[in-house]
Amino acid sequence: MEKFQKSFPSAPLAWPSGKTWSLAGVVGSANLEVLMEPGAAADSAEFDVQTSFPGYQDSWLAALSDFSTHYALGGTKVTIHDQGAAPVVITMRLRQALDQLIHP
Amino acid sequence: MADAPSDTRRRNKAARIARVQSLANGKIVPHEKTADLLGQVIEPGDILCLEGDNQKQADFLANQLASLDSLRDIHLVMSCITLPDHVALFKKGMVKQVDFCYAAPQGTAVAELLAAGQFPIGAIHTYNELYARYYIDLTPRVALIAAVQADRAGNLFLGANTEETPAIVEPTAFSDGVVIAQVNEIVDTLPRVDIPADQVDFVIQAPYPFHLTALFTRDPAAITDVQVLIAMMALRGIYAEYEVQSLNHGIGFNTAAIELLLPTYGEELGLKGKICKYWMVNPLPTMIPAIESGWVDTVFSVGGEVGMERYTAARSDIYFTGRDGSFHSNRPMGQLAGHYAVDMFVGASLQVDIHGNSSTVSKNRITGFGGAPNMGCQPAGRRHPSKAWLKAGREANPGPGSIPGRKLVVQIVETFQAGRVPTFVDSLDAQDPSIMSAMQGVPPIMIYGDDVTHLLTEEGLANLGACRTPEERTAAIRAVAGYTPVGLQRSAAETAALRARGIVKFPEDLGVSPAQANRGLLAAQDIKDLVRWSGGLYDPPSQFIDW
Repeated sequence: MEKFQKSFPSAPLAWPSGKTWSLAGVVGSANLEVLMEPGAAADSAEFDVQTSFPGYQDSWLAALSDFSTHYALGGTKVTIHDQGAAPVVITMRLRQALDQLIHP
Repeated sequence: MADAPSDTRRRNKAARIARVQSLANGKIVPHEKTADLLGQVIEPGDILCLEGDNQKQADFLANQLASLDSLRDIHLVMSCITLPDHVALFKKGMVKQVDFCYAAPQGTAVAELLAAGQFPIGAIHTYNELYARYYIDLTPRVALIAAVQADRAGNLFLGANTEETPAIVEPTAFSDGVVIAQVNEIVDTLPRVDIPADQVDFVIQAPYPFHLTALFTRDPAAITDVQVLIAMMALRGIYAEYEVQSLNHGIGFNTAAIELLLPTYGEELGLKGKICKYWMVNPLPTMIPAIESGWVDTVFSVGGEVGMERYTAARSDIYFTGRDGSFHSNRPMGQLAGHYAVDMFVGASLQVDIHGNSSTVSKNRITGFGGAPNMGCQPAGRRHPSKAWLKAGREANPGPGSIPGRKLVVQIVETFQAGRVPTFVDSLDAQDPSIMSAMQGVPPIMIYGDDVTHLLTEEGLANLGACRTPEERTAAIRAVAGYTPVGLQRSAAETAALRARGIVKFPEDLGVSPAQANRGLLAAQDIKDLVRWSGGLYDPPSQFIDW
């Protein structure tokens, strides 16, 4: 088990009214869940990662940094519970959680 | 004048036949006498063709050949080194040279033979390249082939897996070579004649049916959400964008996902009747839902697929069949069709380098090529236009006097393989010195980066065909290479510039909603669903049945 938190600058996200969270994926073998809630400073995204597969913090932070730059999700707290998801799944789950907010 | 060209080969053939005539009743030889027949017919120095590809095998003849002890100096030509009996020919020291295409099932054994100096490679070919050489400088003196049925005169029925048998028999028979066929059974009347008796010298009813691999069956249950996302991006970013009418698919799960999205996502996008009408693929079970939904006009195949016999017979509007409905395939013509007649090739790979070159070779494993390079390349001899060909051409060739069109050569890969092995690398394993020396310095690249127009990963789509310089192409590759070491070296500014020009596109640029990327979008969830879609006509092989 490895845990880490990190915030990255990100353009503010206008949360859709009535939406208080979004969730993509599940905690299951080779999968992960991504939970997005309001709760960070308006110009940053705050990540809280728990992974059962230690040793890949650099890759995680690179992916989360890119994601924060690429998409506007400022003001969002992102909680990630990972159970050894393949790297190819991670960006997709992040995109899916955000997509539910943008296209509710 | 003794050395002047005359009919030496014909007289040599007559002598070979005379030596073994006592073993045969007409053309029929009992299977117990096979080793005797082969030992007497084959001469040292012969170019010997042993039929065996990635699906069907003349396995009984291979087994009997491998049982011989005195045979030497054979120049072996065959498309695939597949069976332990093939490896045995080398271990016994029979082979002085081998020219082949593909060796993946025995890739490790071949690498070991090579290291031991027991594998004298002439060259590793693509399929059509080798078949073409059968007519030029690798014409077999003896061909050992497999057929489903023979009649008593020696006519052959090849069944669904017609494949390359005619391309072996024709050059052999018409150059006074000897053609020996193993058959599953000898019957009075054949469903159809694929090889006329005139081109066949001996027929042996083998004690067991020839081996056939179900190579093209992909279980929808194993398709992932990520593959669904990639398939959605492919459909919007390439298939719809270029209005692709004719195409070839590889055998991976990514293309299976695309086939299974046509009746669902494709329908939702209003693409039915506008794309994907003409196919050069084997009878893929995962195409059943699209065919049943009316997407597909025709399918031509290089081989058959186990379990698809009744379905293809019942859908003779779609597939090429004999008058009785029996499935027909042709590997050389299918490959040629895949080269010249289709707008798009879609393949997958294990490794892609920073130039876009790809390879399935890994260290200490000699795999070879097969057919993908025949289709995953630019057909410089193509002259007929199509919308897709012209559009890709405009993107790639802005200057006057350049080739007006370009085939879509698409590589779909995930940025990591199983076990967190990066797909993207600075240098291919294929360029390992041990492999390079076996290949006489030519790296075994499956698809060249110069030929690739589109590289699609779960991260995004890179239009390599529209890149103007090698540096730009590398930047586009890095942009979609995810969090591999190659991808981590990208510059955000370069990626942004390529995105602004439409060379790099992310899901939102393509109008793809990642939240929709879910296995539930597939038209079939498992093999049993495919059987249902087929109306009970598809008979999956037992290894795919879990109910």
